[in-house]
Amino acid sequence: MQKTNKKDNWTAYLMLTPFFVFFLLFVIYPAFQNLFFSFTNYNLDTASWIGVKNFARLFEDTTFHKAFKNTCVYACVSVFALTFLGFLAAALLNKGIRGVKWLRLLLIFPYATSMAAVSMIWLMMYDPNNGFINKALNFISLRGRDWLFDPSLALGCLIFVNIWKNIGYCMLIYLAGINSIPEELYEAATVDGAGEATRLFKITLPMVKPVAFFVLVTTMVDAFKTFEQVQIMTRGDPMNATTTIVHQIYVSGFNDFKMGYASSMSVVLLLIVMLLTYVNFRLNRAGESEVG
Amino acid sequence: MMRIKKRSKGDIAFTVLSRIFILLLALSVAFPLLMTVSVSLQTMNEIYKSDPVVIPSEFMFENYKTAMSHGAWARYFYNSAIVTVITVIISLFINSMSGYVFARIPFKFRNALFALILLGMMIPTQVTLIPVFSLLRKLGIIVGRENGLFNTYTGLILPFIAGSFGVFLCRQFYVSFPKELDDAAMIDGCGRFQTFLKIYLPLSGPVLASLGVLKFTGTWNEYTWPLVATSGDRMKTVQVALTGFRDEGEIYWNLLMAATLVSGIPIYIVFFFAQKHFVAGLLAGSVKA
Repeated sequence: MQKTNKKDNWTAYLMLTPFFVFFLLFVIYPAFQNLFFSFTNYNLDTASWIGVKNFARLFEDTTFHKAFKNTCVYACVSVFALTFLGFLAAALLNKGIRGVKWLRLLLIFPYATSMAAVSMIWLMMYDPNNGFINKALNFISLRGRDWLFDPSLALGCLIFVNIWKNIGYCMLIYLAGINSIPEELYEAATVDGAGEATRLFKITLPMVKPVAFFVLVTTMVDAFKTFEQVQIMTRGDPMNATTTIVHQIYVSGFNDFKMGYASSMSVVLLLIVMLLTYVNFRLNRAGESEVG
Repeated sequence: MMRIKKRSKGDIAFTVLSRIFILLLALSVAFPLLMTVSVSLQTMNEIYKSDPVVIPSEFMFENYKTAMSHGAWARYFYNSAIVTVITVIISLFINSMSGYVFARIPFKFRNALFALILLGMMIPTQVTLIPVFSLLRKLGIIVGRENGLFNTYTGLILPFIAGSFGVFLCRQFYVSFPKELDDAAMIDGCGRFQTFLKIYLPLSGPVLASLGVLKFTGTWNEYTWPLVATSGDRMKTVQVALTGFRDEGEIYWNLLMAATLVSGIPIYIVFFFAQKHFVAGLLAGSVKA
């Protein structure tokens, strides 16, 4: 513990003031207020305490159940695909292909693009009448589908968009991990007669395990916060097939003005996200002796 | 000396398979982007055709002009630019200053406050959406605006100033600076604030570039907050305006795709010229606390 003196204390607090004013006002206070709202029937004008009624209602709200289930499916499928495909992309791109710089740029391009723009691109691709996918299917004499309008396909379509947008990010994180693997490991393995595939699965894969875990948690947290593409592309339709937790927060809060009820959903979301982040934090700490 | 090793059949098969994988991946990422460009240059007749059109018979560059006159796009760009630039500048300054304090000044409750900042990193903006909305309403009433701070630049900027991640990243960056730097500054008569301003800030190029690029893309691409904090046409940001095309009875896909591409131009410029910093920022985020 370093010694502190009075003058430094004051300087420090003074210099931290601008940040903490915004931080407390727009992050910490709202988080607590959200907790408070979740026990009230807040509707933007009045808020009276109604105890755990909102949470009791969550248990019976079939739309929220649907949203919760959709979010979990969305998260699990996206995370599995991104963790796996991101790894393959990074590991295979690393093998000195010509134009690798351009490929990397191409793959990160959708990640830099806004979700609003990405949603527009895929609305065009999926459109049943004028969309490219159905036109192409018709062209090779296959029947087009209703994609975003088909309850059994819509969620899958959104998941695909998510994978398409984020694969470049996952690849980047993996690439950094792979580049830090000592070259000697590969040389030794080659001397022992290991082929390319063996080296990929016996050296690269185990060595990037911590990176894979990081990718898994970040994409999982991200998936649980899914809202924009739902609001823009489907509005949760058809028949709530694509509604998510955050979409329900938005609908209850800003369409129905049941902000107390929406806050109880936010509490659920916060608990999930904090749990995921905590697990990530603990497992990382366990793997590292040095603490920053 | 390098020994040329004979490649086994397995290795050749592996290489072929991995090239196919990369090719398929690149195509599936590139193709929708190419189609966006293609559709943006097509006529509506081509779009209504049942056969797929990849290369338009004539490049309709006018679509871009028409799209931009479809709504007050100059105004939307102006709105987004104001909000983004002010947010980036203020947040970079405030967050890096806090990062410096945590890295260099020993003070009471330092660890507790830093832990609070890390905790803040876990709180998703989606969770605080409703309370922040209600807060802006109250703040507006305090300053005499009956309808709250909605439909103002202030309302669009305030919630995005404080960035825990920025403080965290700057602290990590400054911790690696030699302590002698501070001592030398002290001898020259600089106080803490001056030391930060005159010595640390000018040396912060790399970390501020990374943070700046991330904050720039994040703010420009933000959709949810402008959606709830603005109403009507005048204060729309680019992202919100873009999604407005979808709500029309008939969707003009060519205009929509043109607007989609134009809406990303500032991001693409930053991205191309500061790709290194963008990547560095993303990777810094993956270095754990």
